[in-house]
Amino acid sequence: MQVRFYQLAEDAKSPQPDIPAHWQLACQLCAEAYRQQQRVFILTANEQDALTLDEWLWQFEPERFIPHNLPGEGPARGAPVEISWQPPRQQRQLLINLSRDVPDFARRFAQIIEFVPADEQLKAEARTRYKHYRQLGITPEMMSTR
Amino acid sequence: MASIRKEVAAAFRSEGPLARHIAGFRARNAQLQLADSIAQAIDNQSVLVAEAGTGTGKTFAYLVPALLSGQKVLISTGTKNLQEQLFHRDLPTMTAALASPLQLALLKGRSNYLCLYRLEQHVAHVPVAEPQLMQDLSLINKWAAETQTGDIGELTYIAEDSKALPYVTSTTDNCLGKDCPVYENCHLLKARKKAQAADLVVVNHHLFFADLAIKDTGFGELLPQMDVFVFDEAHQLPDLACDYFGEHVSSRQLLELCRDLDLACKTDLRDHPQLRKITDKVAQQVKDWRLQFPVEPERGNWRERSQQPQMQSMMQRLTETMDLLYQVLKESLGRSEAADHCFERLAQNRSRLQKLNDTSKPDVSLWYDTSRMHLTLHLTPLSIAEKFREVVFAGQKSWIFTSATLSVDGGFVHYQQQMGLEQADSLLLDSPFDYQQQALLCVPRYLPEPHQHQAMQQALLQTAIPLIQANQGRCFMLFTSHRMLKWMADVLPEQIRQPVLVQGQTSKRVLLDKFVQLDDAVLLGTSSFWEGVDVRGDALSLVIIDKLPFASPDDPLLQARMEASSKQGGDPFAAVQLPQAVISLKQGVGRLIRDVTDRGVLVICDNRLVTRPYGDVFLKSLPPMQRTRDLTRTLQFIADKDAAKRSD
Repeated sequence: MQVRFYQLAEDAKSPQPDIPAHWQLACQLCAEAYRQQQRVFILTANEQDALTLDEWLWQFEPERFIPHNLPGEGPARGAPVEISWQPPRQQRQLLINLSRDVPDFARRFAQIIEFVPADEQLKAEARTRYKHYRQLGITPEMMSTR
Repeated sequence: MASIRKEVAAAFRSEGPLARHIAGFRARNAQLQLADSIAQAIDNQSVLVAEAGTGTGKTFAYLVPALLSGQKVLISTGTKNLQEQLFHRDLPTMTAALASPLQLALLKGRSNYLCLYRLEQHVAHVPVAEPQLMQDLSLINKWAAETQTGDIGELTYIAEDSKALPYVTSTTDNCLGKDCPVYENCHLLKARKKAQAADLVVVNHHLFFADLAIKDTGFGELLPQMDVFVFDEAHQLPDLACDYFGEHVSSRQLLELCRDLDLACKTDLRDHPQLRKITDKVAQQVKDWRLQFPVEPERGNWRERSQQPQMQSMMQRLTETMDLLYQVLKESLGRSEAADHCFERLAQNRSRLQKLNDTSKPDVSLWYDTSRMHLTLHLTPLSIAEKFREVVFAGQKSWIFTSATLSVDGGFVHYQQQMGLEQADSLLLDSPFDYQQQALLCVPRYLPEPHQHQAMQQALLQTAIPLIQANQGRCFMLFTSHRMLKWMADVLPEQIRQPVLVQGQTSKRVLLDKFVQLDDAVLLGTSSFWEGVDVRGDALSLVIIDKLPFASPDDPLLQARMEASSKQGGDPFAAVQLPQAVISLKQGVGRLIRDVTDRGVLVICDNRLVTRPYGDVFLKSLPPMQRTRDLTRTLQFIADKDAAKRSD
């Protein structure tokens, strides 16, 4: 299992009031993975976050279109990208974690992307997640976004 | 030849003739660009494919260069209604503004003109003793004495589908041509002569192709004379062309032939009992042939079906009896005008049937469809590109193809390949509407998959109810299947207080009038409603579509085209199904915003638009509306739009 923590710059801007800066980065990474035909699972902290992210992705320019579904909709195997606050229904390679904790099902993924946002509270939570991975015997890679 | 570009540009100027003569006229940029490109195509005798989004003003953009070209122009539109609108409304405005001295003509298809010979026959011997029919016939008879044109369209006081009409118009099968006793007074002939003498002729696509494919005779002189061809609603051409370059033969035609022959046997050829016997035998076999298929109407692949042993022997028997009839009738030629005419029809039908039974022919789709009483075999070419390319690039002529919906994914490749117009110039003009402000596209969350029929019915109903109520009706619900339409027509009226109008209750025109008049109605319709409907303003501000309009996979023509595409190593979904669905959805979406002040909501109840990789092809092809998946936000948009309207 490969875990990467993307560290956001202190002055990273959020694209719109309800979208934090690290979500924007998450979507860029998600788009890259989709173009490489990886199946992606985006985990959010709760249903409201999932809906917000769903709405935002749907409003992307058609050139940056990312086919996605929420839990309970879409084709039987799921869309290339699933956004959920619940455990995944299918096997997928990449987990993009936008929730506060390391989920129990993290081990089912070959790759995990995590974020260290600039916000102090969120940064502290990211540190806890980092430790959690270490306890699992994994040394996450730190990625700078500068 | 001198360029007409300057003159065209001058006509559109702010102090030019259009602005002076037409109240409120202001040329739009896209309109100027289109008019100029058309002027260039006419100057250079070249071919132009142009998409002009709704609201561009494309009618004026092609009428001005057409009228100023000094050449013979043919304008073809999608339907008779559009033809009439163009000829009786737009053209007079334009010729008055430009002070154009040109001779104009309107030409419709054969079935739109009174046939004096058939009228006389059927007024003398009323075919069926039905009060309505008799009344209509007598009204038509009165009108016949007054009309100058013989155009059935003048008969506004008779139902469009009056049973009398087939008795007073002709078909290529029953027209006597030069042998007709009233040939000199023939309205159709006069209309054609007038068209030939005119500088500008307005036809419709059906008529154009009927002429091109020589499906009707006596009109073939028109096309070669023309210098400029303008097609509006040009997105309809590929399918229509396939239809006209195809062949078909129907049990109805064969039985009508038998009936006419039987009549001749009872009169002129009374002394020929053998002929009558064989005629009856053909008629019986044709009826038996229909019985080989299930009672319920269906369509399918004739190539496969005709290989079944029972069907093979059926076809063999029918062919043999028709051959015998042909031989026997041939020997009686010259004794009866009616019988001689039947002989020609028999010969035609025989050769068509032969073609349709030749399953070795590649590049064509062979298919059948049945109605309760009848059966039709169709041969449809998979591509008309080569044939049409030859027509278009044959001479020194100008060809303009325009529509609001030609491009897929920002390009014309699909259209140009279908039509053989790869070498044409192309132009893509966006609509002047501000779709970001004016329109919202919603794909609701958590919808079932489209194939989960029952779950989808409920989801659609539950989605529609609050939207219809919030919008106070003023809604079209458009369906891709009759089944879903029927179900909704059954359940929806009990759930909402707004009136529900359903396609099929009455004619399309009456339904639309009612819809506008009621001002709070919901109209349920299928794909035929998607096209050519123009309801401006607030009367229509919500369109709900049940499903992405992919053609039914059991459509034999679609199947054949997809097969051909994969044989050529293409991706049949991307090359055939997807572009067709995109064009069709664009048509549906185009119903919503018809004017700069219109605001409206489009709800597409098909999650595939969001969840499937091809969603971007649709999004790139649709106007750039705001997008949401949130029904609450959609209701808010409706509330805001109505509040904005009240404060106006």
